[in-house]
Amino acid sequence: MTQIRINDVAYGGVQYARISPDQCQKIHNASLEILARTGARLYDQEAIDLLKKAGASVSEGNRVRIPAGLVEKAFSTVPKRVTLYDQNGEAAMFLEEGRCYYGTGSDCLHIVDHRTGERRDPVLQDVVEGMRVCDALQNIDFVMSMFLPTDVHEMVSDRYQMEAMLHNTTKPIVYVTNEFSGCVDAVEMAEVVAGGAEELKLRPFAACYINVTTGLQHNEEALQKLLFLAEKGLPALYIPVSIAGISGPITPAGSVALVNAGVLVGLVLSQLKREGAPFITSAMSGGSLDMKTMVSPYSEPDQRGVPHALAHHYNLPMFGLGGCSDSKLVDQQAAAEAALTMMAETLGGANLIHDLGYLESGLCGSLAQLVTCNEIAGWIEYNLAPVDVTDEALALDLIDREGPDGQFLDSDHTMTNFRKRWYPEVFDRGNYDQWQAEGGLSLGERAAARVEKILAEHQPQPLPEDVAKKIKAIVERAEKSFK
Amino acid sequence: MSGELLNKITLSIVEGRPDEAVDLTRQALADGLEPLTIIDEGLTAGMNIVGDKFQTGEYYLPHLIIAASGMQQAMELLEPELKARQQAAESAGVVVIGSVAGDIHEIGKSLVGTMMSASGFQVYDLGVDVSTEAFVAKVKETGADILGLSALLTTTMTVQRQVVRELEEAGIRDQVKVMIGGAPISQEWAETIAADGYAEDAVGAVELAKQMVA
Ligand code: B12
Repeated sequence: MTQIRINDVAYGGVQYARISPDQCQKIHNASLEILARTGARLYDQEAIDLLKKAGASVSEGNRVRIPAGLVEKAFSTVPKRVTLYDQNGEAAMFLEEGRCYYGTGSDCLHIVDHRTGERRDPVLQDVVEGMRVCDALQNIDFVMSMFLPTDVHEMVSDRYQMEAMLHNTTKPIVYVTNEFSGCVDAVEMAEVVAGGAEELKLRPFAACYINVTTGLQHNEEALQKLLFLAEKGLPALYIPVSIAGISGPITPAGSVALVNAGVLVGLVLSQLKREGAPFITSAMSGGSLDMKTMVSPYSEPDQRGVPHALAHHYNLPMFGLGGCSDSKLVDQQAAAEAALTMMAETLGGANLIHDLGYLESGLCGSLAQLVTCNEIAGWIEYNLAPVDVTDEALALDLIDREGPDGQFLDSDHTMTNFRKRWYPEVFDRGNYDQWQAEGGLSLGERAAARVEKILAEHQPQPLPEDVAKKIKAIVERAEKSFK
Repeated sequence: MSGELLNKITLSIVEGRPDEAVDLTRQALADGLEPLTIIDEGLTAGMNIVGDKFQTGEYYLPHLIIAASGMQQAMELLEPELKARQQAAESAGVVVIGSVAGDIHEIGKSLVGTMMSASGFQVYDLGVDVSTEAFVAKVKETGADILGLSALLTTTMTVQRQVVRELEEAGIRDQVKVMIGGAPISQEWAETIAADGYAEDAVGAVELAKQMVA
């Protein structure tokens, strides 16, 4: 966790505003104009009916034009902060202005095996190991499944992922499911762990990640999930993706305005379904298509920070994307892109920064890379930490006592305070001989060794037996329904 | 004289000026140039240069798209003239493409479709979340040479297999080549489901398509 409030007293922040408040307002106005003039296509009847009843106009059966008033009303009822708990019911993440949390991504189709360096298909055991590593890493605040297991039935891979997450870490979860039914099952599993639907609503430890076709096309599955979660009073992340230059304007402002219009559709619907439903906005209205390779990159600099400024403008909790790389391996590019994107997302103030450990533009993941990201998160936390400028910290008396020729190594002040400075775990600071004596390893090799050490030593808190049984039953029920 | 005009047509394609390509094509017809000459020595020559420049990294995707659009617009002018002479521009082949049922990932599929039309294929893009029946029906209707199936999810890649089976059921499997693609797709999967080929990206897809109709 990085607290980006630099000075608790003056309440100033280190947050960087990529665009000004006036520019935010202009983009907001543009989104409102898009919704009122162009409208969005919705592929779910209940969603269309809700909007129609509230005063939106519907043409062509499913093209909905939403008046600005509906959006403003939604802003008056949506909670401006969301607390996510851990699986033991302890408050773990306050998604609000000035707090940035880090977590993994989901569903990688490949893994770079930290033991062999080989790129291969992931299996369920990789998800299990990933979650155990996350559980142990201090700066990983929440988890997503990381890998898509290929050794279970593809239609219920999401149930197995959820089970593995519940079993191997107590940290808050962001879950992604294949279909609407997967979302219903994930909620049921979370309710079992929380001890009931009311308990989960009171102390939610899981939020659903929902992708939407584009800013102006909302697929049935996404709308069903959104409305179901709103009804339940559970947090949803609503994430339309219009790729700049392809399904939206190539210019950052136009691209963000279009995607933001889509986010506002989700916001209005969640509040129409149930006033006060927790809603987390998307700050990943991200990228363009790389016009040379035709890959959709994850580590672009151009647009980062723009949707973040907008989410601040709204004072809504936001979901960001960092710690990821377009590199194919755990190399220099991967480290550089992970560090840059995590820093930019943190300065932008994203509350949930996901995709730590991603490689290959979202297609591959690595536990060694995740360890590096954990290290980067620590660095950022300390770099943006509030600076203590009390008299005790200024230590004028000590300076005077020691005089111009003094040394501070043996003072109590050093003894009591030196531990407050950041120490790396896998970044190397030794001199050449020390480094060589320890094997002359690269960052990637040291990170891989750290993964092995965690897997050998760390035991996550197990689920109570009866709970584990009920979870398994839900997985099996789903599996049967697809046979 | 006519050589100069054809060069200008080529240049208008290479430099991405569709309106000019249309105007010059009209002028060439008025000058009495044969439509097939305009196509081969003017427009297609330009498209080939654009393709090369894209391969070498000098050109980006938008260059390719605007060139294709110039070519297409000029062709609209030339089609009636070709018909009148009972000629036909050489079509590389007919392609039906779409993202399979349950899959709404659109971008890769559309790019493949666009690149194929830019390379002279006649493309029917059925969109996303396309039912298996719709694929089969369109292949029948158009007599397509190639069916392109896109799937970006492990949960929808199995639908590609279903489509191949349905083509068999319908008795038209041997009339059409099936090519598949998308993030989770591999050559191995193509072999498993008895598709005719796989390509990793849009450039590869065009090459594969050309081999398939050769
Ligand atoms: C953009 C995106 C989306 C967008 C799509 C927007 C749109 N309108 O198209 C949105 C946000 C809607 C989305 C939704 C989802 N997504 Co998505 N998405 C992506 C992402 C980031 C990029 C895809 C893309 O457009 N790439 C750019 C294009 C140009 O590349 P491409 O599609 O691969 O196409 C190229 C080649 O594959 C090939 N090709 C493609 N089709 C064809 C066809 C033929 C015939 C041939 C020969 C070649 C070929 O050529 C293309 C051009 O070079 C990928 C990650 C990734 N890096 O691929 C995840 C990814 C594919 N999505 C993923 C997931 C999980 C989802 C969701 C299930 C999440 C959810 N629960 O909400 C939903 C699924 C919805 C559904 N039912 O389809 C996972 C897939 C995991 C899995 N189960 O297999 C991925 C891998 C990300 C991840 N690691 O989690 N997604």
